Parts: sequence; structure tokens; C-alpha cells
Amino acid sequence: MSADTLDDKQVGTLSVVGTLRSARQSLRPQRAGVVYALVLLVVILVAATTVMGLPSYLSSTNISNILGQLSPVAILAVFMTVVLISGNFDLSVASVAALAAALALKTIDTIGTVPAILLALAVGAVVGTANAILVQKIGVNAFIVTLGAMTAVRGIVLIVLNGESTTAKSQALVQIDSVVFGLPWWIGVILGLGLLAIAASRFRQARSAAALPLDGFFVALIIAGILMLVVSFGAPELLTQPLPVWIMVVVTVAVSLGLRFLVPGRKLYAVGSNPEAARLAGINVNFYKMAPFILSGVAAAGVGLIYAGRFNSVDPNALSGTELTVIAAAILGGTSLFGGAGYVGKSVLGTVILFTLTNGFNMLNLGSNYQYVVQGVVLIAASAVYTVASRARKRQKAAAPETTTVPSVPAEVK
Amino acid sequence: MRGAVVTVSPPAPRHDTAESPTLEIRNITKTYPGGTQALRGVTLSLRPGVVHGLVGANGAGKSTLIKIIAGAERPTTGDLKWLGTSADWRRPADAQSAGVAVVHQQSPVVPAMSVLENVYLGNETATLWKPQARLIEFTALCKRVAFEIDPDTIVAELSVGDRQMVSILRALAQNPALILLDEPTASISPAERAGVLGAARTLAATGVAVVFVSHFLNEVMQICDEVSILRDGQLVDAFDHDAMSVERMVAGIVGTRLHAVEASRPTHEVGEVVLDVRELRSTMMNSAISLQVRRGEIVGIAGLLGSGRTSLLKAIFGADRRASGEVIVNGQPIAASPQAAVDGGVALVPEDRMRQGLIGDWEIWRNVSLADSGDLSRRFGVLDVARERELAAKAQRDLGIVASSIDTAVKDLSGGNAQKVVFAKWIYKTHHVLLLDEPTAGVDVAGKADLIKLIRELATQGIGILVVLSEFEELLSLADRIVVLRHGAIEGDLSADAVSVAELTASVGGLA
Repeated sequence: MSADTLDDKQVGTLSVVGTLRSARQSLRPQRAGVVYALVLLVVILVAATTVMGLPSYLSSTNISNILGQLSPVAILAVFMTVVLISGNFDLSVASVAALAAALALKTIDTIGTVPAILLALAVGAVVGTANAILVQKIGVNAFIVTLGAMTAVRGIVLIVLNGESTTAKSQALVQIDSVVFGLPWWIGVILGLGLLAIAASRFRQARSAAALPLDGFFVALIIAGILMLVVSFGAPELLTQPLPVWIMVVVTVAVSLGLRFLVPGRKLYAVGSNPEAARLAGINVNFYKMAPFILSGVAAAGVGLIYAGRFNSVDPNALSGTELTVIAAAILGGTSLFGGAGYVGKSVLGTVILFTLTNGFNMLNLGSNYQYVVQGVVLIAASAVYTVASRARKRQKAAAPETTTVPSVPAEVK
Repeated sequence: MRGAVVTVSPPAPRHDTAESPTLEIRNITKTYPGGTQALRGVTLSLRPGVVHGLVGANGAGKSTLIKIIAGAERPTTGDLKWLGTSADWRRPADAQSAGVAVVHQQSPVVPAMSVLENVYLGNETATLWKPQARLIEFTALCKRVAFEIDPDTIVAELSVGDRQMVSILRALAQNPALILLDEPTASISPAERAGVLGAARTLAATGVAVVFVSHFLNEVMQICDEVSILRDGQLVDAFDHDAMSVERMVAGIVGTRLHAVEASRPTHEVGEVVLDVRELRSTMMNSAISLQVRRGEIVGIAGLLGSGRTSLLKAIFGADRRASGEVIVNGQPIAASPQAAVDGGVALVPEDRMRQGLIGDWEIWRNVSLADSGDLSRRFGVLDVARERELAAKAQRDLGIVASSIDTAVKDLSGGNAQKVVFAKWIYKTHHVLLLDEPTAGVDVAGKADLIKLIRELATQGIGILVVLSEFEELLSLADRIVVLRHGAIEGDLSADAVSVAELTASVGGLA
């Protein structure tokens, strides 16, 4: 290509259709599969509940119910995704959350609320730092390190609790967990319109050929904007939610935007994709490999506090097995286990799918016996779809190289 | 200097030439799907009991010929005759079962297994593992190559040279009629070379046809009965041990090749010292290395594979944690980490661009700003995508990167264009020193000319450049000064005007 034709392209303006075409990439099954799966699942459940004359699946009560249940796991999934993007793995999150919950409830009556919370978070940071040092500095495999941490920390929970469940007189954590915040419907409308306005401005920019082509972020903005408007007008009561749900929303949005728009986010993806190239480009690989473990540890401790507040009681087996649900959610969201790829928003959608399945089984009275089988099958099927779809895409690309190269840029915030 | 003293009996007087050849290669050509003609009619005859040397520069067609002999590639035209009957090998297993064994420069061994297990790996004639019988066979094999090793030693504990011997034993365990040694001494220490070279001679003495491929011409002189020289896919010269001379070999290898680079190097100003390396030591280096590069100067490092050239660049860049010594850039000492090097104004264009220089799945624009994203951002570390993309578009224009847009993933680019992206990553950052490791490897002629021009331009801007290049014509036309590196030590510091390709070839090969 000569420099002249390039210049023409640079200043050129694309047609509306041409501009939109670039967003199509993000709608392919291997990119947006988790969205289609969720839509399909919801449609099936709505149809089933309607036919069987049960209360509608999409009732505000049921949705609030699901959101409340999934928020702790979704928060864990957000940070698990960060760890996975960095090219690592963290199995210790559920144990850390249980330890944080146990410590907080054990100490809150004697040392006070704030010290107990700080103690719990500090313990999360310590475990996260230990994981980070063992994996990055000593070089032990992350799977083994965090498997060991998961077991050992669970052991500490048993020691702390002396094998029995515990509770606290202080109601501080319970109150924090159940604080409810509500947005007036008109703020929802403004937010929805704002999201659509941002999408429109992205579209306008993208019409210049030199600008970043439209991607999943654009699609996500539109979907989020429309959903916001529908909720604000149709079910404004959904804008009132307890604190953990709001924490989940804020954490998801903040981490997504950080990964997409901040320099550390870009560097994290670089380190996860090709650590050697990142190192030789002068990026501090140690930092970007270690920080996610510490973040994950602190976040897990935070989730432990939410758990402690929810039940005001914690038993030695609290949350055990949750780490697998969290990883399953991230994989359902299309996060790569090899690092360098993944989107926080999609992992949260993966969590929504898993909890919708559970909730649907309960509503339809199908018995929880089948639930794990279905969850397992869904997880494997999702991975198979991602793998097959991306392989088909590669073949197609190999058949017609260069010309079909459609720009791919991370989608974010679904 | 001649490496270590190699105690190898000189080749026996000429063998009976009437003896029927083990493998006859007749008028072989090989054209790759891309149109590259790697071999243009090569005829060779490999006879039992003869060590046949195969030499040639990079890209001469050696590797293709080796692959054809090993059954990994099929010739486009021409034929192979194995023990008098025509052979059509479709896969390496065919050649192997016929009796061809190959020892590569770094043959894969299984580190966790014992020497004995490695030697008989993949050679299980019976399902039952009989240690006693194997042990007797093993002792016989060791005797054949005059090598002593405890069969129970775990391979992970062996030196690289001993591992190479294990590979040779493994090849031998297949009881081959022809054994191909592909640069068997390139990655091992001088002291261990003697064993490998001796093994090649002893093998020939037992009636095996041996092919010895090497860049080390002194080794070829020592052990080969006859030599064939490949250049540009053709056999340009062949002679036996009595007619062997340094001049004849070097002349054959170098020839008068046409190349894309204009020979005249524009004169340019050379300023003060910008890179000062003092007493740098690392694992692949046998001695402490000190060198200086001035502003605007292009210093070439000439050395063979395994001479420590890549280790040297990595050590300067701080990418080798075990390195020690001092690196001073523009008067400032640089801590030993890539991050400190980048901050201090040093850039590295690594040898393996896809693994070390680029993120394949990323688009051109994100790769261009990989090293720069911090400087290109707005306040509070917010990425300025518009500026990054402007820079990438500028890079695409400036360097002539052929791609449909800056949103093309770099893994879809050709070698030359991908390499330009690696350069683009650095050239818009203010820096002082550029370290280039084989910047033109795998790049076509047009791309090469572009890159050479770019490197010269960067030097003109006052950057000090240290470049490793295996193509000596290119190196000589590009560099002002040449540092010869052999076995991890500096063996010479020459003005590029004062040395010819032939002299350089002889020098790195240990003949000068």
C-alpha cells in the first residue's frame, strides 16, 4: 500500500453501514456467547414459568433476589478475572473470605467494628501477598500455591472457630450488609440517556477511518443504556438495592473502565499475553503479576465481611467450593486460562447465568439434585463453543488473509 | 585460538571410492509453496566410512538439504537412492526405519529420565523393557564412540555436551547406516567438542556414513574426509581432505553474492561515547566483556550461533538476571533490569520477534505503543487512544508498514512488516542506544533494504547502535566497526572498511 492511498484512508469518512460493520465482530458467538446464553436461559425460564402458571421469572422481587444472592460471587469473579488476565490463577479466594468472616465475627465484640473490618482486610492482603511472592518470586506454579493456600487457610478457619460456628453480638456488619440505597427513577433515565449519548458520540467518532473502530464496548453501552431506561420506566423499584449489590455494580464498572482506559490496564493485558515481550518493552512484569493476587486477597476478605453481615454467623465450611463457582463464572464469560484475554463485565454475566440456573431450578421445582449436572454441562458446553468458534474463525482467516482482517479491540462492560 | 585441543585422529587416507554409496542424492531441487527456491539441483554421494562435511552460509540451502535427507521434506524434483534402490520418504519415520539417524544442534532429550532410558526412547522393539539386555547393548554403543557415562545418571544432571553425546548414542542405538550431525558442537563448550568430534570419526571407522554440518571451519578441516559447499541452493564446490584449504572453503561459502544492500555506507558524524559496557559477565560468556559505542556509530557483532552474541545484548539490556558488570548509558549507570534500561534510553529489538518483541494478537497500534503507553497517556494514567493511533498511523507511513490498517493484528503481518512494528515501538521514544539482534532475519529482500536504511537513519540521528547480524555482507555494509565474538569472548575489534567478508567468515569460524 502506498503512502497516498493510506492518507486517503486516514481522512476518509465511512458510511453508516461501514461504521457499524466493525462492531459486528463483537457479536460473534465466541465474543458475545455469554450474552446469548443468558438471553436464551431467561427466555426459557420466562416461558416455563408462564406456561406453568408460576409467578413470573422476571418479577422485580425475583430479580432483586438473584442480584442479592450473586453479588458476593460476582465481586469475586471480577477480581478472579483480573488474576486470570495476568496469566495466573487463585483458588484461595473462598477460604480467605471464610477466614475474614470468622475473624471479623470473633473480634468485633471486643475490638470494635472498624478494627475488626481492617483486621479482616489485612489478613486478605497478607494471604494475597504470600500467594504473589510464592508464584512470582519463588516461581511455584499458581495452581499449586493457591491450592495449598486454599487448604491451609481453611485449616486456619477451623482453628479460629475451633470447629464450631460463631456469631457476634454486634449488629454493625448486619446493618452494613442490609443498608438499602435507591436511585429515583429520573436519575435512572438520565443515566440511561447518558449511556446512549456516549454510544452516539463513539459512533460519530468512529465514522472517521482513523479512529478506533466500533467494538463490544459500543454494543455494551447501547444495551446498558436501553436496559437502564426500561428499568427506570418499567420497574423503578429495581433501582433500590442493598449495599452489596451496589458494591458489585461499582466494582464491575470501575475495574472494567480501569482495564480499558488506564495505562495499568493495558499493561496488565500485555503482561498476560506475552510476559517476555512485556518485560523487554520495559514493563514491570513482577508488579503486574503480583498486584492481582493482592487485590484478589483483599477483595475476598471484603466478600467475607459481606457474608458475615448477611448471616451474622459463620461455620467452618462457610463458602467452601465457591472458588470453583467463581472460576466457572469467569470461564463462562470467555476469560482465557492462558492469560491476556478476558473481560470483567462478561465474567459478571457468567455469574448471573450460574445463579439464574440455580434460581430457575428452585422456581420450577426441578430439585437441586440435577443442578450441579446442568451447571457442569453448561460450563463445558460454553468452553467448547468458544474453542470451536475461534478455531473456525482462524480457518476462515487463513483462507482469506489480510483482506478479511477485521480490527478486534476489547469489548468491555457488558 | 583453536577452541580446545581436539585430540582426534586425522582422517584416514582416502577410502575405497569404489565402495557403493549409502545415499545418493541426484539433481535435487526444492521449491517452497511461497516460490522460494531453496535447492537448485544438488547432487551428492554419501559413502560408508566417510565423514562428509556440509558447509554454507545461512540461507544457502543446508537446512533444506538436511530435512530432505532426514525425510522431513520431499524434494520437488530429483531423486534419492538409498543403498542402490530409489527411496521416497514421506515422513521422518520412513527415513529412520531405512537407517538414517539425525542429531540436531540441540536434540530433545527427556531431562527427567536416565541416560539409558533416553538412549532407547522411542526405540522399543519389544514391549517389555529388559534392563540387562539394554545395558549390554549400551556398553557396546559407548565403546563404539569411546565415551564413558553412567547409564543411570539422570539426564537433567548432565552438561550440554554430555547431553549431546546422549543424543548421539540414541541415534546410534537405531543402528543407522547414515548419521547426520547438524551443528552438533554449536551450543557446547570447547572442552566438550573433542568428544563429539571424536565420536564422529570413530563412527565413520565402523563403516557408518557420517554427514557433518558445521559453521566451524576448523572442525570441518579436522574431521572431514570430504567437503561439499552449498551456496544459494547450489553445490558450488566439493573436494576431499587433501585438497581442503581455508581459502577454498571461505571462497566457496562467500562467493560473490548479490545482495539488496548498497555497499557504500554514507559517512556520518560519530560523537561521544553513549554506551559504555564494562566487565560484563554472563552465563554464555567465557570472559568479561567491555566495549563502547559512540553516538551515531553502528557497531556490528560478528559471531556464530552459540558465540554469546544474543547473551551479550540481553546482558546489556539487563534482561539476564545472572549477568554482572557495569553498563553506562550517556554517563549514567543503568541498573540491571529491562525497565531501568528502557528508562535510561536503551531499546532492544530481540531475535525472536513474535515471542519477544510483539504481542501477536494485538493490533499494530497497541503494539507500537507497548513501550510507550505511559508517555502517551493523559493525566492520571488515562490512555490517550487517539494519540496512540496517530503515532501508529505515522509509523505506518514513515516505515512503510504494509497492512490494511493499523487495526491489523501483527500476527497476520509478514516478517519484514512485523519487524518494522518492533522498530516503531522504539523509534518515537527519545533514546540513546539501540540493540538489534538479527533485525533482518526472516525478512525478504525489499524489507531488508528498508530496515537497513532505517537503521542508518537512526544512527544519523545520534543514536548508538549495536547490531548482531549473521549475514556478513549486510553487517559489513551497515556497521562502522566490527567486534568479533567467539566462544563468549571478544576476539577482535576491526574497522568495517578494513575487513572482507572472507576474513570475517574465517575469523568467526576460528581460522584467523
